[in-house]
Amino acid sequence: MDKKIIVAIAIVAVVVVGVLSAALLLSRDSKEGIVKYVTVAPADMKGALSTGSVDAYIAWEPFVSDSVVSGVGTVLIWSDEIMPNHPCCVVVVRNDFTSGPDGQDLTKRFVKAHVEATQWMLDALADDTSANYTLLVNMAIQFTSRDATVVESAFGHIEFGYAMNASFKSALEQFTEMYIDTNMTTDEKLSERGYSSVSDFVGEYVNTSYLDALASVTPSDTILNPTSPIKLGYLRGDLHQMAQVVAQNKTVNGGVKSLFEKYGLNVKNATGAPFANGGAEMGAFAAGAVDIGYLGAPPAILQHLNAGVGTTIVSQANSEGSGLVVRAGEGIVSLKDLENKTVATPGESSIQFLLLKIALEEEGLKLEIKT
Amino acid sequence: MSQFTQALWKFVRLNWPRIALGCSSVVLFVTAWWLYSAWLHAEWPFSGRTSGAAEYVPYPRQVLEALIDSFAGRDPVSHLYMTSHIYASLKRISVGFALAFVLAVPAGLLMGRSRNAGAFGKPIVELFRPIPPLAWVPIFLIALKFFWGPIAIVFLGIFFPILLNTIFGAKSVDPVLVDAARTLGARRRDLFLKVVLPFTTPYIMTGIKLGLGVGWMCIVAAEMLGAVGGGVGYYIYSMAYTVGLYDRMYAGMIVIGILSVLTTGIAGLVEQRLYKWMGMK
Amino acid sequence: MDGNEVTTCINIQGLSKVFTRDRLAIRALEGFDLEVLDGEFVCLLGPSGCGKTTVLRIIAGLELKSGGVVQVHGREICDAGSDRGMVFQEFALFPWRTVKSNIEFGLEIKSLAPERRGEISKRLIELVGLQGFESAHPNELSGGMKQRVGIARALANDPEVLLMDEPFGSLDAQTRNMMQKELLRIWSATGKTILFVTHSVDEAVFLADRIVVMTARPGRVREVIGVDVPRPRERTSREFIAVRGKVLSELDEEFEKARAKELARK
Repeated sequence: MDKKIIVAIAIVAVVVVGVLSAALLLSRDSKEGIVKYVTVAPADMKGALSTGSVDAYIAWEPFVSDSVVSGVGTVLIWSDEIMPNHPCCVVVVRNDFTSGPDGQDLTKRFVKAHVEATQWMLDALADDTSANYTLLVNMAIQFTSRDATVVESAFGHIEFGYAMNASFKSALEQFTEMYIDTNMTTDEKLSERGYSSVSDFVGEYVNTSYLDALASVTPSDTILNPTSPIKLGYLRGDLHQMAQVVAQNKTVNGGVKSLFEKYGLNVKNATGAPFANGGAEMGAFAAGAVDIGYLGAPPAILQHLNAGVGTTIVSQANSEGSGLVVRAGEGIVSLKDLENKTVATPGESSIQFLLLKIALEEEGLKLEIKT
Repeated sequence: MSQFTQALWKFVRLNWPRIALGCSSVVLFVTAWWLYSAWLHAEWPFSGRTSGAAEYVPYPRQVLEALIDSFAGRDPVSHLYMTSHIYASLKRISVGFALAFVLAVPAGLLMGRSRNAGAFGKPIVELFRPIPPLAWVPIFLIALKFFWGPIAIVFLGIFFPILLNTIFGAKSVDPVLVDAARTLGARRRDLFLKVVLPFTTPYIMTGIKLGLGVGWMCIVAAEMLGAVGGGVGYYIYSMAYTVGLYDRMYAGMIVIGILSVLTTGIAGLVEQRLYKWMGMK
Repeated sequence: MDGNEVTTCINIQGLSKVFTRDRLAIRALEGFDLEVLDGEFVCLLGPSGCGKTTVLRIIAGLELKSGGVVQVHGREICDAGSDRGMVFQEFALFPWRTVKSNIEFGLEIKSLAPERRGEISKRLIELVGLQGFESAHPNELSGGMKQRVGIARALANDPEVLLMDEPFGSLDAQTRNMMQKELLRIWSATGKTILFVTHSVDEAVFLADRIVVMTARPGRVREVIGVDVPRPRERTSREFIAVRGKVLSELDEEFEKARAKELARK
């Protein structure tokens, strides 16, 4: 009986050792022309880079400046070098909201406040000696919990904007085509939502009517929606979405009212805001918990097409502002050097992933999940 | 194989009422699901306006198709077959389980039989036990990298059920058996190997079954935050947040459910064999 | 019961045992003396709580004495060992082992070769009458059969003395009677010294050469009554009833004393 126990333990031990060694061995293969990727939350990327878990990462600000300022990494290539003026974050509105009472009017006013806030930021950033610049930096420090150096470095690469012109739309079309190519969405889904083609989709999904009507929006002395505030969604600590922080700040507009209040809007954070990622925020849209929100263009596109979330894009929030970071002093000086290395990305549908894919394909490299 | 089918047929014949009850509850559940889906989609037997949440509750048939699709083709996000995802998750579970087993059983036996070891270990165990394994994710991912990080999460989830059940079993050893063994000449080593260990084995098996269940629960969340080579949890997360294909997300959940049932089932079979071999129950 | 010289197996002088529980000292045994000769069958009889099981456990080495001398064949007892086999009321069989492997337990510890172990266990299984049940597990056996295994297991180590702690207490009356006869048969076949604890007067008179009647707590020897009734003994015979009466009267007095003490403490 004693022997049986020993034999059983021996068998278990052999199996365990076998699985362990197989697991370790099988993960050691390397292929030609492949760059491996892992999906990591941007907040964890700097740590992963410094400990060597990954050889590079691509993310949006301030996660790029985090590594650069602390000396952990250097930027190999900025996103605007891969695709100049590429869209990034957008302002999205829930269709049920706009079709509700005063929905159109409230949305117009919101877009107006967003545009003014964006313009204020652009002016402040143009003159780094101005009082507004200092104010903006302080707001950003609070919003992102980073220090001034990181924030200022991050601002250097983000392009705030609101216009949705032809190149904006064609970039979105390009992204949608890439999604269809990789099966992240399908032509069936397009037609299920009632679009005849990708350009039809972008043409309808991007609604410029609110931007066009800006001139007719005037400030209001009274709050138009005192009892039903606009439920605002945004992503945690995402510097790209600074406009909504500015629009809520009282000092910006001369110290009495915020920009939202100037236009008679009562705005409060939606339940669940700030969201961890765009997918979660779109889920909140679907549940009616968010009326107007800031998020990246990819989830705005994919969740609308695949999950039928009834939304529309009403303004841009920013373009560019992402970068590919490599470990300092590692000798990775070109994209070609990334072959067989591991890059951390925020997710397969993110703009950063798409841009990385585009950039690598130009070098003849393919992006594959690390196994 | 005929012997197997004979045994299976015998099992069905003997247990058909219980099998029927089990099947009917599943049928009831699927019907309720289908009705809820139809209500949200405003399709027969309901009508009206489609709810905004309709796509979040796809029809059972759609989920079934997505399930088949996930095995037949590559998933739209990471471009892996479901079998690769299953393999990745199984790897993590088995390595995590092996580590947990190898550490928890000796530690549990020691803490159960030696008062000093018990006093030494108790505060640490009580301190770490209630912390959900998922809370360790950030630290593990940075400290242990992407291969070992999720494994460590699974390890923590499986470790404590096995440890605590082993301690309980070791403490429960019938003192009369220890007395009997001593009067038969057993010294400390014999007592441990020939009395404590066999006695505690059923408790260890209980701990293993519990631990495996917890392990599968941890695997999903652990893989959501940085995993190598996919994994079923990673699949679920991608389908939901990255891409919004919820029928596939539910398919992933079904896969996890099946895997969990299979692994606990295997553990149960091992337990039955062990009981028969040891002549208990 | 053979040989020219009758040697002493167990020698106990002035044995005392004090238990401390919740800072109360309980004097279980005080001034307990006993001599058991080789090959004898001696019963320890007494009211509940008189410490008879404690005496047995001290001899077995499962408890430590507080004072006095306890020797087996001249050796001081300090720890449990296979030289003093024990049979328990609860059988204490290892449920995960078969009958054969339960019996071979002590032999495994002594690292005997499997063939040698098999020989010994085979002989013992025949002795206790369990042929055919070698591969059975304890949960498949009746109470009487379990105790046969217990006896065989203890005998496997060829102990110098067999200590039995109310071994038939868990059995029904018929099985009990049958097992008593079986025990006597095994005893005469092996010639072992047996120290048998019981609180059944009938059992003691049926089995023992000598009956040691103990006092209530703190336990010591009240009276040693020799049972000169020739074997096989008839429970209805006049001699049997006479001895039984004598033992009973001794015991009754002790019972009264124990009760009085209980009441006095309240």
